Amino acid sequence: MKVRLLTTGFKSAYENMAIDEAILTHAQKNHHATLRFYGWKPFAISIGYFQSLEQEVDIPECKKQKIDYIRRITGGGAVFHQSEVTYSLVAPIDDRFIPRDIQKSYQKICQGIITGLKILGIESQFVPLNDIVACGKKISGNAQTRKNNILLQHGTVLLDVDVGKMFSLLKVPQEKIKDKLIKDIRQRVVGIRDLLGSQVKFPFCQEALIHGFEKALKLEYSKTPLTVSELALASKLKEHKYNLSKWNCLR
Amino acid sequence: MIKKSVYKIPEGKLVKIDLEEKEGMIEKIKITGDFFMYPEEIITKLEENLAGCKINNEALIKNLDNFWKDYKVICFGITSQGLACAILMAR
Repeated sequence: MKVRLLTTGFKSAYENMAIDEAILTHAQKNHHATLRFYGWKPFAISIGYFQSLEQEVDIPECKKQKIDYIRRITGGGAVFHQSEVTYSLVAPIDDRFIPRDIQKSYQKICQGIITGLKILGIESQFVPLNDIVACGKKISGNAQTRKNNILLQHGTVLLDVDVGKMFSLLKVPQEKIKDKLIKDIRQRVVGIRDLLGSQVKFPFCQEALIHGFEKALKLEYSKTPLTVSELALASKLKEHKYNLSKWNCLR
Repeated sequence: MIKKSVYKIPEGKLVKIDLEEKEGMIEKIKITGDFFMYPEEIITKLEENLAGCKINNEALIKNLDNFWKDYKVICFGITSQGLACAILMAR
């Protein structure tokens, strides 16, 4: 399967989500597949389309800690983007490369991450609906949207987990159980660095994932950049959608 | 008075309900959570469509089943029964 490979480095939440949507929009016309890897700078909280920003995120605390917050176009839960490699795959849903069945499509695409982790020496498994687990702990979460027969699936592969920081930015229903929740989450989530006992860097892990996707999904990469139209659309989306509370406070 | 619930659907995702009730019927409802639904924008129509629905399991499931069909909605991590349970649990 021919896929354009993009590594766009570290950008803000608004730029990252705008680029994902711009690629998705253009793919609805040109039916091209793109696999992108990226990081987040500044750190950010993203919430799923169906979440309430006000209910999930402590906005004053995010502002205080200079953490961005954004609503995604995909469903799913709240994610703290700090130490991770993020990927997004945009591809036509044709039942050859991407299965029409949603569960099967998650399972297939996640093989890219599983194979990438294997290259790093980490054994992992896909756990329905949309997680990857290593040593019984979640190492990757994934979220998908589908528009006009084109899929966008993006997800994170954790390098490190700063649970304390994450919880300082999220609204927890009862403050008194926050410590217990933090302890619980620490036992249920893990990053690549913890599993390898080594401070492996973003480029190293990104490279492993690139090879993992290539091998698992039988991809043939081309390295053409984002087009002028895609960049223009991304810029427009960043300024007129993702930067605005009209979108982020939608629900 | 707004009634609320938080419910993890078995083998599904978390759904949160904010509900205004009048005479045993839904007056206004807000459904949030970490589930998936396609097309995503249909959620507001789903909430509008539940207004006026009696708050009992049978009526809720019938309303939701019809809605998915009428609007060709695909759900992932959320079900009619799961949503109905969440609504019934609202306090």
